[in-house]
Amino acid sequence: MFNETVLKEIDEIRAKYPDRKSALLPSLYIAQREFGWLSNDALQCVAKTLNLPEAEVRGTASFYAMFKNRPVGRHLIQLCTNVSCMIFGAEKLVDFIGRKYGVQPNGTSQDGRFSLVIMECIGACGTAPAMLVNTDFYENLSENRIEEILEGYK
Amino acid sequence: MITLSINEKEITLEKPVTLLEAAKQAGIKIPTLCYHEALKPFGGCRLCVVEVERMPKLQTACTLMSADGMVVKTESDAISKVRRGILEFLLINHPLDCPYCDKAGECELQDLVKKYGAGAGRYKEEKRKVPESHKDQILARNMERCVVCTRCVRMCSDVQGASAITILGRGDHSRMEPFSAASFNCEYCGNCLTVCPVGAILSRLYIHSFRPWQIDKEVETICSYCGVGCSLVAQVRDDTIKRVIPGTGFGLNHGLLCSRGRFGYEYINSSERLRTPLVRKNGRLEESTWSEALSLVADKLSAVKKANGGAAIAGIASPRCSNEDNYVFQKFMRMACGSNNIDSVSRTGFAAAQKYFEDLLGQGITANLIDGIKNSEAVLVLGGDPTAINPILGLSIREAARRGAKLVVLGSAKGLEKFKTLQVLPDLFKEAEVLEALLTEISSVKSVRGEIPAMDKGIRMLSEKARGKINVTGFDELRKTLLGSKSTSVVLGMDLVQRTNGNRSLFAVAGLTYLLEARLYLLSEKPNEQGLIDAGCVPDMLPGGRPLGIYDFKRKYEAAWSGTIPQEDGLTLLEMIEGAKNKNIKAMYVMGENPVFNLPDGHYVKDALKALDFLVVQDIFLTETGELADVVLPALGWTEKTGTYTNLERRIQLQRKAVESSSGMEDWRILSEVSGKMGCRMDYTETKDVMDELARVSPLYRELTYPEIGKGNCLWPYNGEPLRGEVSEVPAAVDAAREYKEDFYLAVEKPLFHSGTLSRRSPALMKIYPEATLKIGAKSAGKLGLNDGDRVQFFTQAGSKEAAVSVDESIKDNRVYYSNNFQGGGVYSLLTFSVDKITKAPGLEGCEVKIKKV
Repeated sequence: MFNETVLKEIDEIRAKYPDRKSALLPSLYIAQREFGWLSNDALQCVAKTLNLPEAEVRGTASFYAMFKNRPVGRHLIQLCTNVSCMIFGAEKLVDFIGRKYGVQPNGTSQDGRFSLVIMECIGACGTAPAMLVNTDFYENLSENRIEEILEGYK
Repeated sequence: MITLSINEKEITLEKPVTLLEAAKQAGIKIPTLCYHEALKPFGGCRLCVVEVERMPKLQTACTLMSADGMVVKTESDAISKVRRGILEFLLINHPLDCPYCDKAGECELQDLVKKYGAGAGRYKEEKRKVPESHKDQILARNMERCVVCTRCVRMCSDVQGASAITILGRGDHSRMEPFSAASFNCEYCGNCLTVCPVGAILSRLYIHSFRPWQIDKEVETICSYCGVGCSLVAQVRDDTIKRVIPGTGFGLNHGLLCSRGRFGYEYINSSERLRTPLVRKNGRLEESTWSEALSLVADKLSAVKKANGGAAIAGIASPRCSNEDNYVFQKFMRMACGSNNIDSVSRTGFAAAQKYFEDLLGQGITANLIDGIKNSEAVLVLGGDPTAINPILGLSIREAARRGAKLVVLGSAKGLEKFKTLQVLPDLFKEAEVLEALLTEISSVKSVRGEIPAMDKGIRMLSEKARGKINVTGFDELRKTLLGSKSTSVVLGMDLVQRTNGNRSLFAVAGLTYLLEARLYLLSEKPNEQGLIDAGCVPDMLPGGRPLGIYDFKRKYEAAWSGTIPQEDGLTLLEMIEGAKNKNIKAMYVMGENPVFNLPDGHYVKDALKALDFLVVQDIFLTETGELADVVLPALGWTEKTGTYTNLERRIQLQRKAVESSSGMEDWRILSEVSGKMGCRMDYTETKDVMDELARVSPLYRELTYPEIGKGNCLWPYNGEPLRGEVSEVPAAVDAAREYKEDFYLAVEKPLFHSGTLSRRSPALMKIYPEATLKIGAKSAGKLGLNDGDRVQFFTQAGSKEAAVSVDESIKDNRVYYSNNFQGGGVYSLLTFSVDKITKAPGLEGCEVKIKKV
């Protein structure tokens, strides 16, 4: 269950909207922040807090790609492999991350440090290849640069 | 006025409707898939596209409103091409397993593909694989066939209100959840089954047992379970009911059904049905013949009447039997047996409340249409959960809440948890105090109406008593809500009637109804609780609700029946049982009822019935009461006979015969045979003759005929003459208030999936809800250290029982609930009771119970 502080936070969100449904997406973000990912328990918790049908909460959570439906590592790497990034060697970078940190696309490294997701275009074609680590944006990637960047995420 | 042209046909409309609707009115069919008349327009499947002149692209007819001067074409080469394209897309993932699929023959997708083509697609990719789930014993879900029209999702959330179905994922990975039994809040209404256009949701009750075109006949009839009386269609093959579907375009339920109505029909084919009359010989019930059994009943009853007088005979009528059955029953009791001791188990709730309200407020006060609830500004629900007791009425309450009505629940109603605007939780068994305070406060704002002197006086007297201020959370808001509403519905469950001082709550509810000019609805568990009162199966009234004590009425009936009706009012149900115990009642005739199981303190009732000299039971199953009988007579059940039923809104409806039964007789026929043998001839050859007589003699049913009733709109007050309120003074008798200090109190659970003892013979309902559990609130469970599934033993003064615990968060107080539906004893066998002096209903509250983990 959510702790008191979180419940208060959700109450504040609810107060902004005319109905309970509108508070669902922000509440799912909070649940993801609190539990790391949206497990069945986490979804039930949101449903109960907002007094919404559990089915509706699950349906909504499953629709959006930014909600995680399985456990992820401490840091989430989202790397683009669309046309520009691919031409500039993004696929080699995927292999490099796999070799160096032991994490495959859609997987998590054994130490739980990184998860890797191959994502669609993030609009950085001019400075390809590009990636997101959690919510931080990085461009003009190379193997060395990735190593440098990821050193900052323990 | 709107004039438009569809396919060169001129159409004039009174008010704007969608193009689809306009075309339908003109007899033009536009193909649809995601559209369903019970649901809001969705515009998802794009199959209903039409050409509208001066609009650049094809338009969806299900969402576009008609406008003056529109020129519409519903079929053209361009349209056909688009439709074929859409179907080709849909078939990418559809398995095309029609030869194996039960839906084939009534599948909307199949029909569309047949018409527009695209059966052989151009796609080479692999089809989506979703494994079929076998977890659910009632609903078969095959999501490979699903075309994601979302009709089931919308039905479940927008109409049923259970919100148990959702789409998981998106795009072509979308699939419907759940796949497993009763996930989320599934209410097993099966309405998803009605709306599914393909074979994705099917019923396991009949899967792979027939093809839709093999149905011999369809019979429009009504449901046999509760007091709503939903219309449904029984589909028959080889003289067996193959399935039950809701009717479209008729009936008060608008094509919706609940779990009992849809899946509970199999009891009629149960192998446990009584086939021949049984007669007790040497202490054992043995198979007998009709002539022997009927003669024995007639002889025994005649002998008791001769030796002890008619008043030594008592009769229990049945709210499961038709108006005709009940009418003949009371005529038989009054004329052949010479006794007014006629009552029914309805006395423990519905009949008691109904009489109380009609005495005060006049006949027909509870005759309000269920649909009216939807348009209320405020709905007050008290004394039970309407969504479990009368599910379809419950849906109207949910709809009202969706339309913005203030929904106030006094006490708990699990099915309304997600819909209520306000919940007021009185202290344990103190609802009457809250209601009285509410009435006092409201009467200080709304002056008495001066229409009914007894009510005005009663309300004034109550206000003068000036009770202490009530301190309940939400009380002020409750008062404001009711005062601010211009149209209020009050929905009363029997929990507040079954109280030692039940008349206090009843008066307060009557007062609120009177002052607020509210619509009053009484929840009714059985299909004909109202009808049996109107048919005269009450100790103090003749058919049509005419008081026996008024000479004019009595004389009229005596003339019509050519005989004498006994003068004195008869005994009420619980008085009869007491009479049997005291040997004042010597013989009892029970029709379609199981008092041993359905009355509180079952052991006491059993002893009382054992003390009788002669007991006749007429039923479709050998019940606990039947086992004590001297003669048991097999009757006909639902769909085996024709008859009329009066629902809780007092609509009279026709239940039609659909199948032949090889054994058993109509209840009225058995009674008239016995009556004839007792020297009181009744000349009926078919059910219609009984109705004809009823329409002739009852001032309520004047000139009613089957064809008229069969239309489904036979509404109060028919062609009848209702009586005004009778009493000049509010009857009041209040026992001293008790303190409730025990840890736990036992109460009656009213489950959604069961109804009386009938549903235990329905295999489907038994699968959904297989055994009784002790329902306990989370707080109480915590106190006892109990978890879901723990087994406990619980004791009352009357006995003990063992059951598994199930924790129910909607229970907020220290009551624990146990059902009265399953074989081997229900909660009634454990309940002790006292009787309300006015309503004569048993007070079931405050039955202390000890719970011990085993």
